[in-house]
Amino acid sequence: MIYYLLLPMLLLLLVIVQITILELFSFGWIGIELSLIVVIYLGFHLDTLRGGVLSLLLGFFLDCLTSAIFGLYMFLYVLIFYLSNIVGGKIYAGKSALIASFTALCTLLEGLVIVLFYRFVFGADILDAIPKIFVPQAVVAGCLSPLCFILLQRFEVFLHVEDR
Amino acid sequence: MLIPHKYHSPIVAAVLLIISLAVISYSASRLSETGFLRKMVLGAAAPVKDAVNLSLKGLHDYWKQYLFLVGMEDENRRLRHGNVVLSEQLNQYREGYLEGMRLRKLLNLKDGLTNRVVAARVVDRSRASQFKTILIDKGTTDGMRVGFPVLSEQGIVGRIIETAWHASQVLLIVDGNSNIDGLIQRSRAQGILQGAGSAGCNLKYISRVEEVLPGDVVLSSGLAGVFPKGLLLGVVTGVSRKGEGLFQKIDVAPAVDFEKIEEVLALIPNAGAGK
Repeated sequence: MIYYLLLPMLLLLLVIVQITILELFSFGWIGIELSLIVVIYLGFHLDTLRGGVLSLLLGFFLDCLTSAIFGLYMFLYVLIFYLSNIVGGKIYAGKSALIASFTALCTLLEGLVIVLFYRFVFGADILDAIPKIFVPQAVVAGCLSPLCFILLQRFEVFLHVEDR
Repeated sequence: MLIPHKYHSPIVAAVLLIISLAVISYSASRLSETGFLRKMVLGAAAPVKDAVNLSLKGLHDYWKQYLFLVGMEDENRRLRHGNVVLSEQLNQYREGYLEGMRLRKLLNLKDGLTNRVVAARVVDRSRASQFKTILIDKGTTDGMRVGFPVLSEQGIVGRIIETAWHASQVLLIVDGNSNIDGLIQRSRAQGILQGAGSAGCNLKYISRVEEVLPGDVVLSSGLAGVFPKGLLLGVVTGVSRKGEGLFQKIDVAPAVDFEKIEEVLALIPNAGAGK
């Protein structure tokens, strides 16, 4: 039950922290996208319905608070969640190197979709954002993801204990 | 169930993706309106964001204040150092100014003399010595010789008694060994001004019948040929006719303050004068 009461609030809090405190450390250059790492974690560890809904919710919060195109992050996070879910079902997703590289890949994918979206929907060419913003962001997210996975695992254990 | 289990995941995924695409499509077509759910999220997030931003602003201000204080400390240290340097410079300029003033007075004195003069700086003075002397920074290489008179802008200082290449010792008129021919300006009575150490000088061999008063000015008489005539030696401070003898006892305060003297002029006698 705690999943459905506490998690949405925690996800909202995570998004707020991400767009306020963590942005300070990015110095206005790249964002530290913890929400994406959470989505990948959900894809590796949760079933399709619960994880999908939580990813959609996370995307919704991010859309509400930051996105210029409402629904874009919902779409992206659901997409990345199912990609992670498929990858998590095929291979053992416990190694740090795999987690880091997959997170970096997903960050790049997210950047690519945003660039393509802008290109085809708005006709805006922001291709140079890939090397300038999304590649460094992918590196940062990749480096942070193993640590985040450990913390999220501990948090999940804590939630299970509380839930019982 | 109508749908086989293995199709559950793709169907859920497809439904969620369709929902998100529908949201994009819906929001793109109605840009001006904010949905109820979105309003709720924004409304819930606003106070939290505000609180976080306030805390961050407080931290930022505190940090800026700290940096400002650190900067102030550095600036304070730099200004203190600058103050010391400037005070030192000011002191040097003040000393230079005072020295210039003294030298100007010496120059005025020099202009009134026919002899060649050499300006010298006092580098040492005997304080507790039995002999009242000073050391000047000019010696034989500058033309100094034993017996040359030494003056300051206040009056006669003494005469040179020892010379080295770059220094000379000057016997002050207050030394007991110093004897200079002098005269009282007002009465023109002549005598010998002898040093009396810390007591100043005594003017000797002035007859008891001569009227000498405290305040009378004593000048060099120029008789012995060492000191030019008319230079200030001192002022009479006391006269005594008590006791027996032909002469009265006259106390004279030297015109020169030997404790404060810093620059002097040494007179080089004219070539024909000594012969």
